[in-house]
Amino acid sequence: MDWRKILVAVDNTPTSEKALRYAGAIVGHLPGVSLYLLHIYPEPPPDYYRSGRTLDEYKKENERQAQEIFDKAAAVLNSCGIDDQAITSECRMAIQKTISQTILDIQVRGGYGTVVVGKRGVSKAEEFLFGSISNALVHHSKDIAIWVVG
Amino acid sequence: MYGTQEVLPPDIAERLKFHRVTRSLRRPSRVFTDTSDFTAIDYGDIIAVDGRYFLVIAYTREGRFGVDEQIKPWVPRVENLATGETKIIKLVFHETFDITLGSFTIPCYRSPEKEARVLELVRGHPHFMQGETVLDEAGNPVRIIDIVNGSRLDKVIHRNSTTHQDYFTRQLPPILEQFLECLQAISFLHAHGFRHGDIRRDHIFVERETGLFKWIDFDYDFYLPEKPFALDLFELGNILIYLSARGNYYPRDIMNDPDMGPEVLETIVPGDFSLLSKNRIVNLKKLFPVIPTRLNNIFLHFSQGTEVFYETVDELYDDLKAVLPLLGSAQKTGSQK
Repeated sequence: MDWRKILVAVDNTPTSEKALRYAGAIVGHLPGVSLYLLHIYPEPPPDYYRSGRTLDEYKKENERQAQEIFDKAAAVLNSCGIDDQAITSECRMAIQKTISQTILDIQVRGGYGTVVVGKRGVSKAEEFLFGSISNALVHHSKDIAIWVVG
Repeated sequence: MYGTQEVLPPDIAERLKFHRVTRSLRRPSRVFTDTSDFTAIDYGDIIAVDGRYFLVIAYTREGRFGVDEQIKPWVPRVENLATGETKIIKLVFHETFDITLGSFTIPCYRSPEKEARVLELVRGHPHFMQGETVLDEAGNPVRIIDIVNGSRLDKVIHRNSTTHQDYFTRQLPPILEQFLECLQAISFLHAHGFRHGDIRRDHIFVERETGLFKWIDFDYDFYLPEKPFALDLFELGNILIYLSARGNYYPRDIMNDPDMGPEVLETIVPGDFSLLSKNRIVNLKKLFPVIPTRLNNIFLHFSQGTEVFYETVDELYDDLKAVLPLLGSAQKTGSQK
């Protein structure tokens, strides 16, 4: 895996922005680096459709939010000296999988050698019940570097 | 929406006329082909679905959130007027609510559609209640459930008033053998992407005739996208801990127990409490030294002191299966394994 192919998992949290700034500071002026911004959102809750809303509406709303996240992220990376040409982005729904599993599936398929993710700092109980994406990535990834930024 | 008895076939009308329920009724039975408004359906009414006629003969009850047993009007007990068989019918009732676990809130849903899909998946499985789903005239998925003749597991374990040591060494091993089967059954659900959704000790029934443990009630669901099965897993741990102690233990229970008292309570540290039910003690070995250490280690996965969680039901199953042989030997040695 080429470590310079970097997948950055982004959302609209301050920790995500911190991770992005960290990654930008590290690789900002290195040649041959590409950054792939990935925003994964979960499937809608079980009662979502009962109000008459559609999956299409749910996806569009999430894609709209993702675009805002990507625009902010690109501005952060540009300020670190990373060209727009080195930045790509994608937004996807985690279908029948968790967010961390989806990130790792995309990482494997895309051959990304580095994954960057923010860390919220959750309690044990919170981790048990709601999960920790950064911990899951660390535990289940293979042959790559994971940068967990807290 | 309902009709009168005139819509009934003659043989059904005849049976209804002489039925013990309608004999005591002060009004004629109504025939419901659309069950959307389940609150309108009453004792003595008929639910007509799929060419079958079910007379409402009682309602099921359930206790929850510390409230005494309440009638569930969407779950009537019925008699099939053609065959005389007694069934439980579950009518469509959607509700959304939050449950609180420790300091956390989890969104929960009652989903008849999910239960219908689970019933289809588990058809013929010995460790799940059985039933079928038919649509009423309005398209509501009406679930017709076979009644499990037996008792709630949590009642069964309290039938004999023996000492805990006697219970633990003689009665518990076969109970846990069956509980292992229950774990496998839940693992089967998870493998197919379903949660049980409402795992509780009174949602395992022990069938009288066969002794088989059977899961009931699959219509709850919850929304934990990153840990979709965590709540099921936590509740499985809770049942295992309850079965092993023959009850839940809180500090006041230790104080009130003449075999424990303040000396035992003084040994309890924060890490001995449940991860999510903050006052419940899960480090049971401090209360019952007869419990083998390896079994106790399973309980500790659900404690505030844990550094490792079970990620899947299979992990819990494997650990429990491995320690079961120790329970018999605990009887002889007083257990330190």
